[in-house]
This record gives sequence, C-alpha cells and structure tokens, in this order.
Amino acid sequence: MAEWICRTLRDGGLEGEHAPALTINDTISCPLGSFVFDHILSQLSSFIFCQKSQSNGIVLVALSRSPLYYEQLLKSKGFDVVTSSTWFKILDCCTDPLGWRSKLVDSGSIRNLSSGSSLTVNICKNVKNLDELFSSIIELGKELSGDGKGRFTVAIDSVSSLLRHTSVSSVAALLSNLRSHDIVSSLFWLLHLDMHETRATAALEYMSSMKATIEPIIQSVDGPRGNSENLSLMEQNLRRGKFCVRVKRRNGRVRMMFEELSVEKSGIKFTPLSSEDEMTAQSLVPKVQFNLQLSEKERNDRAKVVLPFEHQGNGKTIQIYDGRKSLNDDKAEPQHTSVPKVDSNRGEIIYFRDSDDEMPDSDEDPDDDLDI
Amino acid sequence: MAANKPRTTSFSRNFSAASSTAPHAPGLKHGPNGTMFLSSGILDLDKILGGGFALGSLVMVMEDPEAPHHMLLLRNFMSQGLVHHQPLIYASSAKDPRGFLGTLPNPMVSKDDKSRVHETEQEKGLRIAWQYKKYFGEHNSESQKDGKSEYCSNFDLRKPLERHFFSGQRIDCVSLKESADLATFQEHCSSFLSQTPRDNGNIAGGRIAIQSLCSPQCEFSNKEWEMLSFIRSLKSLVRLSNAVAVLTFAPSLVSTAFSKRLQHLADTLVSVKAIPDEDKELAKLLTGYQDMVGLLSVHKVARINTQVPAILEATTFSMKLQKRRSLILECLNQAPVDGSSGASYASSGSCSGSSKTGALDF
Repeated sequence: MAEWICRTLRDGGLEGEHAPALTINDTISCPLGSFVFDHILSQLSSFIFCQKSQSNGIVLVALSRSPLYYEQLLKSKGFDVVTSSTWFKILDCCTDPLGWRSKLVDSGSIRNLSSGSSLTVNICKNVKNLDELFSSIIELGKELSGDGKGRFTVAIDSVSSLLRHTSVSSVAALLSNLRSHDIVSSLFWLLHLDMHETRATAALEYMSSMKATIEPIIQSVDGPRGNSENLSLMEQNLRRGKFCVRVKRRNGRVRMMFEELSVEKSGIKFTPLSSEDEMTAQSLVPKVQFNLQLSEKERNDRAKVVLPFEHQGNGKTIQIYDGRKSLNDDKAEPQHTSVPKVDSNRGEIIYFRDSDDEMPDSDEDPDDDLDI
Repeated sequence: MAANKPRTTSFSRNFSAASSTAPHAPGLKHGPNGTMFLSSGILDLDKILGGGFALGSLVMVMEDPEAPHHMLLLRNFMSQGLVHHQPLIYASSAKDPRGFLGTLPNPMVSKDDKSRVHETEQEKGLRIAWQYKKYFGEHNSESQKDGKSEYCSNFDLRKPLERHFFSGQRIDCVSLKESADLATFQEHCSSFLSQTPRDNGNIAGGRIAIQSLCSPQCEFSNKEWEMLSFIRSLKSLVRLSNAVAVLTFAPSLVSTAFSKRLQHLADTLVSVKAIPDEDKELAKLLTGYQDMVGLLSVHKVARINTQVPAILEATTFSMKLQKRRSLILECLNQAPVDGSSGASYASSGSCSGSSKTGALDF
C-alpha cells in the first residue's frame, strides 16, 4: 500500500483538479512517521530521477531536520548530491526559523550561518509569515523546471513544527493554496498527532486527500507503567507498526488499506497485514429486524413450546393442555378427562369434552338392524 | 367563507383566493400550513422532505470530510435556482468561486430522459422477500412536457449548465477566503435579498448557497460565536425575505458543543456520509452497493406554522448516480441482519418517500 501511495503521488493531479495531498500521522506510542516520510521521499526521488513521474522535482521544506540529514539520506540511497540540485531543492527552515541567528551574525557574535550541507539551500528566516513561505516554495519550484511551467512535488518535513509558530487556519490556507496551485503536482507532509488538539488534526485531515496513520500493532494497556512486559512492548512498537491508509476517491468513496511496517537496519519494509481489521460496515446502516433464520437458542425454545392441542405429536398419551403444566411435568397416570388441579387461590376450569358424550362406535352403520 | 365546490364535511381548509390558481412562479409550490416550497433540484429529496425546501427555512448539510457529496446537493440546488430564474448567492472559501458555476449540471433533455428502469435482479431466490418493496415504488410517469414549467428538473450531472441560464440572472459569488469576519458577507446577503422584486405578492424565492462555512482556511473559522451569530441573522434574513439558504459545514472541524448548536439552528438538517470502497461486508449487506456513492440521512425536516413534527418512515438513504448522470436517493435495501445483536430501529427500511401531507378535513 505504500507503493500505491507513492504511485499516486508520482502521478499527481489532473488538470484543473486539486493536487493529491498525503498526511502521514504518527503518535508517541509508535513514532515511525519520520521513517515513512523518508521512505516516500526516496521513492519519489527515484521516480523523478528516472523521469517517470508527472513532476520534475521536489521542493522540501525542512523544519525539523536539517538539510545535512537529507543530504546524507540522498547519498545513502545512491543519488549524486552534486547534480541533485536540478531536481531537489530544500527550503531550510531548520537552521534559523525565526531569524535569531542572523541577528546574532549581524551583531557579530557568531561567524556564519552555514547549514553545513553542500546541497543548495535557501534559508527561510521567518517561518511565521506563511505567505512568504508560500511564495518561496513556488519560486523554488519554478526554478526546478527550465521554463517555470513544469510541475513539482512539495514535501513538508513536519507540519507540527509549523503549527508551533502559526495558527491552524494559516497552515490550512497554505496547504490549500499549494494544492490548488497549477504547478504543484502533489504534496505530502508529516504530522505528529498527539502534539495538537483534535481540531487542528481534523483541519489538516480535511485538507488532505490521503491519510496514512501509523499505529502500534499491540496496544499496551497501561501506558506509563514500566513493568518488563510493557517495556518490551514499547520497544517493539519502536520498530514495528500498523500502517493504515484512508484514501478519498473521486467517486466519493473511501478506500482503506492496511499493512504492517517494520523498520530495520536496511530500511523500512512493508508487509501485508496478518490479521484483517474488522470493518465497521454495520455501524453505517441502520439495523433492520427482519430475520429469517433462527439461531440455535431460538430453535430450542421453539421445540419446547407447548401447543394448545390435545395431541402434542410426540407419541405420548393424550393429555389435555390446560395451560398450567408443561410437557415436562407429565404425571404418571394418563388422564382422559381433564381434572384440573384445584388450587384454592385460583379459579377452576371444569371442562368436559364433548367427544366424551359419544360412545365409541356409536356411529356404526345404522343399516345393520335391517334384516334382509 | 363558503367554498364553491361541494364539501363532504362541515369544516374545510380556507385557502385564500390566490392559492386556488397555480402559484405565479414555476419554481414555487404551495405546501401545507400556508407555506411555499421551492425545489431542491433532486426529485427524491423533494419527495422525502414533503415537497421541497420551505421558503424561509435554513437548510444545513453536515459534510463528511472524506467525501464531496455535499457539493452534489449544492450543485443541484443552485442549478434549479438558475433554471427557475431565482436570484442566487454562492459563497465559498475558494479564491474564485465563479469557477464552481462551471460545474453546475444541466437539466436533462427529454430525449435522454427515460423513465427509471428497475433492473430486475439477476439472482432470484429467497432474497426477493425483503426486496419486493423496491418494485412497488411510485412509477412516476411525469412526462416532461416543457422543461421550464416543471417544479423540479432532472439534472444531468455530466453536462454543464447552458449559457443561457446564466444570462440576465442575478447571481453573486462571494469568496470568504480573505474575510476576517462575516459581517461584510452578512450585509451583502441582506442587500442582495432586499433587491428581490416583490410586486403583486409575486415572490421569486431567492437562494443562498454557502459551501463549507467552517473550512479551516478562513480566518473566522475559530471564532465560533461570530459564526453562530451570523447564522442566526442569516436565518432571520431568510425568513423575512422568503428565501432558502443551504449551508454546508463539516462537524468534525468545530467543537462538539458548537456543532450541536449549529444543528439546532437548522430548520432542515441533512447529513451525508462516505462509504468504504470495495467493502465486502457492506456489499453483502446492501444491494446496489456497486452504484452507491454515499449515504444521506435526514435528521430534521422544516415545519413552519405548525407544531406537528414530520416523522419520516426512513431516515437513511443511499445516494446513487444513475447511469453516472442523475442523482437518485433510494431507501436502503438491506439483507436481514441478526436481530439479536444490538438495538433495532423501528424502521424496516420501507420505501415510502413522502410523508403524508393530506388535507386535514374533519
């Protein structure tokens, strides 16, 4: 499913449509979001490098990790860093997001402002001004293609860091502007769910077209307790997780996919999930009581119902059902007429069967007394 | 006041003289209790709501952030207004809301429109027992004689609205993106609606469509009390000027208390929901799952001038795109569910769309 997401981002959006946007969500119980982000970034880089994708390049807005980290990431994936500037640009918001260091440089306290990376980076000094950020991103993207008309992908290292500095509505406005811009082909970002209020995360989910959540495979019951079982569980959750993706499709349906992810030394691996999650289909439609099948219990109960007839059809001697005994309390002596139990508190039913008046064989052939 | 026609009872509803003739505008229809309706643009929804949207009511659609179904409802609503030459205001958080007008559907041309064919089920067998009500459905053979004079048009979602419907119309598109608050928009609405011609008691019936009021890009989205007071004034505005306002919002974007308040403000409350794709369990549970795009639930129906609530037989409907062209709403045909599990609803999913609106003759 991670492949599916990468392919969707690679293919980008159609003309006149909003660009597909992926949000990668993780929590403290399974903090593997940055690994997934790196994985998607490297996959898209390889697509773009081989020119198999709609976009010509990637603009990465680095807020929580420095450009040096990304340089090393690219090197480890086998890309040549020197030539990568034709298709990979970084907007460095990590070195000096609020402009403090440049103030120190001005005042002479520190020497220079380099990020230590050989990748060409543009440094953003005011993360709080999102309009400026937006125009810098677009400018960088235009530089990626020669004529300024090619499309590019935007990756935001962590929207959580952005939300530290600005309000939800401005971040949402930035994302929606990026999505609706003609030259943005696709965008994806990382978000740490438990760092924000539910409204903020709901707003960002609203802005996205795909949502990938990383959940722990085994939920530990008592979080903070540090007994040995819990520790090993927590350790496991640092390496393995459940990768759930919800995709909003064009026809208005939601596609849900699940995978298991594990982080190893070689990288990240996605494997199909061993046990399928229960779908909540039944919660969507109102329940209807129109059942044609009987359950086991219902069948047994039905067999036990005493019918108000003389013959219960089970070969036992005839007994009139008077409504007070069940079949199970059969008396030893069969009774042909009903003799109700006299209960001093209750009324009596004295019932004489009409058929008792008739002598048996009384309706024999009346012609028998003819002497012919 | 004596009526001319013979009466079977001694009491009869006293309609004023104007109502004995057809309403002046083709887009309006008389309803019970002295109300007038205008069409929502979706035939099935009009039937479910008992005639359409009542003039003076505020309709709210609760969106599902995962599906764009509220846009379908808005599109049909706006197109219907344009077809009937009713003035229209559209507001959204997009930079250029006029672009949305390009996606409005065109009424279906009569040669394309065949009466709805109930496709016979391929699989016979015992499942028919709970599906039979589908076949009883009202065979509405309203032939569209002249497209202009019918109350609710059947819209073809694949064809954009023709240019001539836009000309000479009072259409206003407002972008809420840059507004810091809603005061300007409120003034805009009131001035727009006050210009609606009202000579000879001829009510044109204005339409206001507001899409995604609480979308997070707008600065006022976290000013909940301001939004609430705006909606309250919108409601009174709409009631005074006999217009209908349709407003969509996503409940997940606002706090629960505020969402509840919004829901209480609505006269008619409808919600749309996305359905999971390729869900085998849902496919077993519902017929026609392949064609379904979503679910629509009706929570509240506007009742003006009466204390009697409208109790619908079914509140959840499936939204389907018939031949990918027109939106139809159908009652859910559900497979029998094990009744022993969970609470059951009183509804049996029966398929009578219209609530009874017979005249109260004693």
